[in-house]
Amino acid sequence: MKANKFAAALVAASLTGAAYAQDEEADGGTGQALYEANCAACHQYDGGGVPMMQPELILSEKANGDIGGVIDMILLGSAAVPAGTSGYSNEMPPFDYLSDEDIALIASYVRTHFENSGGAVTADDVRARRASHAGQ
Amino acid sequence: MKRQLLAILMMSAAMAVPAQADITGVAEDAPIPADTGIKLAPGFRATVFADGIGAARHMAVSDNGWVYVALMKPEEGFGAVALYDSDGDGKADERVPFARGMSGTGMGINDGHLYFAEDERIMRWPLPEGGAPEGEAEMIVEGFPNKRQHSAKPFTFDSDGHLYVNIGAPSNACMEKMRTKGSPGMDPCPILEEFGGVWRFDADKAGQTQVDGMRYATGIRNAMAIDWNPHAGALYIAQHGRDQLNSFFPDMYTEQQSAELPAEEFHRVEEGADIGWPYGYVDPDIEGRVLMPEYGGDGKATTDRGQEPLIAFPGHWAPNDLLFPRSEVLPAEMRTGAFIAFHGSWNRAPKPQAGYRVVFVPMDEAGAVSGDWVTFADGFAGEGPIMSPRNAKHRPTGLAEGADGAIYISSLMSGGRVWKVVYEGQ
Repeated sequence: MKANKFAAALVAASLTGAAYAQDEEADGGTGQALYEANCAACHQYDGGGVPMMQPELILSEKANGDIGGVIDMILLGSAAVPAGTSGYSNEMPPFDYLSDEDIALIASYVRTHFENSGGAVTADDVRARRASHAGQ
Repeated sequence: MKRQLLAILMMSAAMAVPAQADITGVAEDAPIPADTGIKLAPGFRATVFADGIGAARHMAVSDNGWVYVALMKPEEGFGAVALYDSDGDGKADERVPFARGMSGTGMGINDGHLYFAEDERIMRWPLPEGGAPEGEAEMIVEGFPNKRQHSAKPFTFDSDGHLYVNIGAPSNACMEKMRTKGSPGMDPCPILEEFGGVWRFDADKAGQTQVDGMRYATGIRNAMAIDWNPHAGALYIAQHGRDQLNSFFPDMYTEQQSAELPAEEFHRVEEGADIGWPYGYVDPDIEGRVLMPEYGGDGKATTDRGQEPLIAFPGHWAPNDLLFPRSEVLPAEMRTGAFIAFHGSWNRAPKPQAGYRVVFVPMDEAGAVSGDWVTFADGFAGEGPIMSPRNAKHRPTGLAEGADGAIYISSLMSGGRVWKVVYEGQ
């Protein structure tokens, strides 16, 4: 009986959750969809990350900085962060298999949401960053 | 609607264990007391023992009441802190930092020594009469490779001078490419050679490395919750199950299924045991262990690799510490049971996060589960639902018992906190 009550509470909370996700930032378009498919499991739907495990993207230095910052994180994953300087335990895989266009959409979404104002990037920016890493 | 029913069935199945012992847990609709921020099973009372101590993890309590807390990040340059309540009001009034320049998770007391584990090594000092340990630490095991993921080294001791160390797998599901969609699992998983298990060492011998240890059990993704059951004379663990079934296999697992699966597993671990990671996981709705999708599974097919858990807890709750109480202060029906601290999920998004509680598992003297588990302490995260883990006010990360029977609970959130929980009777 106790278990059922608990389950019901959990289910009720789940329904609230679905509504919440829909109401949040409806203006991200394809960038948001790509973010949610590829990034949100770890960085969370609100960009809040997970304390000690995965960095938050809200008011992120990279997302408000040079055009290459977020692009490099997506292309290289944790390898973009100098060894020994991260305070987060989980490792991020490279997402270099995504197209330049998709990476540009994700980077733009991150740089223009979660209280960031770094501005949009283009597929050409991604292409240039990808080329710069090719010889390394 | 179907999905809700399924969820209810799944949750009920997860909690279906034989009912014998009658232990009352936290009343679900009870308010969260403002002074402590946690609500407890009837008969127990909490005080905030210490606040703002930093990223508190595992703890150990000396017989004379000093509480030693490991810190996951250095706090003002120190990786651990000793706490003491000199006037008996349930609040520590002495606070002595130690382990300068370090940080870690494991903390324990054995045979007159205080042991502390950084991610790469386990050290000890003679246990002081009071206050922080002094002098150079003696290195017991050194040179663990640090791959960041699951690199903490929680440990425990048996009564025969052995030190048992969890060496977590730096991996989610032993995929060829780390956490990459479409990458298959490696078979055999080479990570299991050096990681993904419990290694046993001599607790009293300095200068060991991993090769001096013996792989006691394998197939364990990461067991932050590890303790020796002194009543049954056996090792127990609770494992952090794999993440991201829906992100990697959206055609096979819905978001709801991915939030609920796999179960967090509670095991008795005999020498030579294989728990089953990365080849299988536990779905409370399916008999046997389910074959991982990275290894050709379809969410239904099972595998005979690995043992069945004693309890399948809800998915992603993240068991972070395990405690078998040793004093005789608790009510008789609780003395041989186990406390498990779940620090709470991150991998249930976009569904609400869950866990963030301490549960109690009734067990008999032989170490068999003897009743339904109950929530012992709850409310850590604050009023829910918690959609994003950063919004959880506290997350229980460590458990310890004092010689007086008090149960200590740590949290690394909101500046770090330790609660002292005492039994006052019904």
